[in-house]
Amino acid sequence: MSFQKKLKSGEFVVLAEMNTPKGINISELVTNARRIKGRVDAVIVPDMDNGIMRMSALAGGVLMNQQGVESIIHLYCRDRNQIALQGDILAANVLGIHNLVVAHSEEMAKGDHREAKPVYDIDEIELLDAIQSLQKGTDKAGFDLDGSPSFTVGCTISPFKDDEEFEQELLLAGRKIDKGAQFIITPPVFDLDHFASNLDKLKEMGVPIIPTVFLIKSVGIARYIANYEPGANISEDTIKRIRKAPDTEIECLKIAGETIKGLKELSQGVQIVTLGWEHRLPEILDYAGI
Amino acid sequence: MITAERKPMEELIECLRPYHRILLVGCNECVTVCSAGGRKEVGILSSALQMAFMKEGKTLEIREITLERQCDPEYIEELVTDISQAEAVMSMACGCGVQEIAKRFKEKPVFPAVNTSFMGASEQQGVWAERCQGCGDCVLGITGGICPVARCSKQLFNGPCGGSTTGKCEINPDIDCAWQLIWDRMKALGIEENYEKNMPPKDWRTSRGGGPRTIIREDLAK
Repeated sequence: MSFQKKLKSGEFVVLAEMNTPKGINISELVTNARRIKGRVDAVIVPDMDNGIMRMSALAGGVLMNQQGVESIIHLYCRDRNQIALQGDILAANVLGIHNLVVAHSEEMAKGDHREAKPVYDIDEIELLDAIQSLQKGTDKAGFDLDGSPSFTVGCTISPFKDDEEFEQELLLAGRKIDKGAQFIITPPVFDLDHFASNLDKLKEMGVPIIPTVFLIKSVGIARYIANYEPGANISEDTIKRIRKAPDTEIECLKIAGETIKGLKELSQGVQIVTLGWEHRLPEILDYAGI
Repeated sequence: MITAERKPMEELIECLRPYHRILLVGCNECVTVCSAGGRKEVGILSSALQMAFMKEGKTLEIREITLERQCDPEYIEELVTDISQAEAVMSMACGCGVQEIAKRFKEKPVFPAVNTSFMGASEQQGVWAERCQGCGDCVLGITGGICPVARCSKQLFNGPCGGSTTGKCEINPDIDCAWQLIWDRMKALGIEENYEKNMPPKDWRTSRGGGPRTIIREDLAK
């Protein structure tokens, strides 16, 4: 069943994030995709959202499709103006990519091309509006298209540190839904109880909620997130559990798997983010019982 | 100077429609020089607004004041008394002035009366042209005193684009091609060899690439 159909049917969807290479060696990407073929509903291919120059998501999405794995690609506003974005959206559709996520992008200063000029011709809400227009057959300037694309479109909400920021994110998410977003990807969930406490408000948005499960790879990373990501809610118990584990890596994979298992009861899907450990995705899925 | 142009009357009337008493604030600096928002323009706009509202059968009480500089908190303090009697403020300063008023008087609505345009110079009476984009890393010493960031439509750094024709810009034939001007100036200075040197891609972090900028002078900052 396609991602779109599964999403509509209300079934639990499993998405895995896979980054494109910084170069043209696609062997790892392709191998990792094959490893999880049939076990996830789609692979999400970020673009250069984090400011690191790499092969574009458009190519990554096509590569996924070639492996028989459905793809979802990221779109964001830092690097392309409205003409380039629309052109890529049309290209994606023609190349067999039918799912998009309009994502937030890191500021240029945090990437590896810090001196580059940010674009921000339009913002995420206007980009969603442009996607909606293209699907209705007109471009952002109002000109008719010769054949219009069709997509399942999602949006993201950014990490929030407290209730006030959460409310602001919800307001923005509401505007994104008004502009055609059909599902929401949330920030990483490290604490199921905390996620559950926000669930009622998230569900009021009226679209499927897909939380992110971020693979913690070490005590250091867990500690870093706990210290520098207010609102992430990594508990001391989790950090202690990783520290005391006989095999840290396996423990981290288990924690991710358990989080996915827990989210099955709470949400309509998960996005698994492993940032370089995509080869361990099959184990995470094992621990999650998927 | 920072240049500005007054917004259309219809737009100004629309944003003031809910109010009966406003404070109209001019600025003695750049907007005075470019005849957009100095004392004289405050008087003219005040009369025009009152007439427009009278035509609609409404009264708009306008108190006029022109500050030495609206971009300076010290002068903004002078508004304390007048602003308390106004329901809203209309500023005729550049965007810096409008924001200073908004920052100081958080409960008071403030509306811009002008569109802030660019950093420019006077070419002749009543004509101003863009000269600087405040990119934070001036290259005028290399480009013969002509700025490719502000004056080339495409912000090119290594010579003109293919659209430069008879010394004019393809985007607007009334605008000189910046790279034609740079070439002419290099020739006049006898430094044509500079034209053949490759300029690396600009580091936009000193411009807007790094987000809103702040200058901190340690020797002056308290």
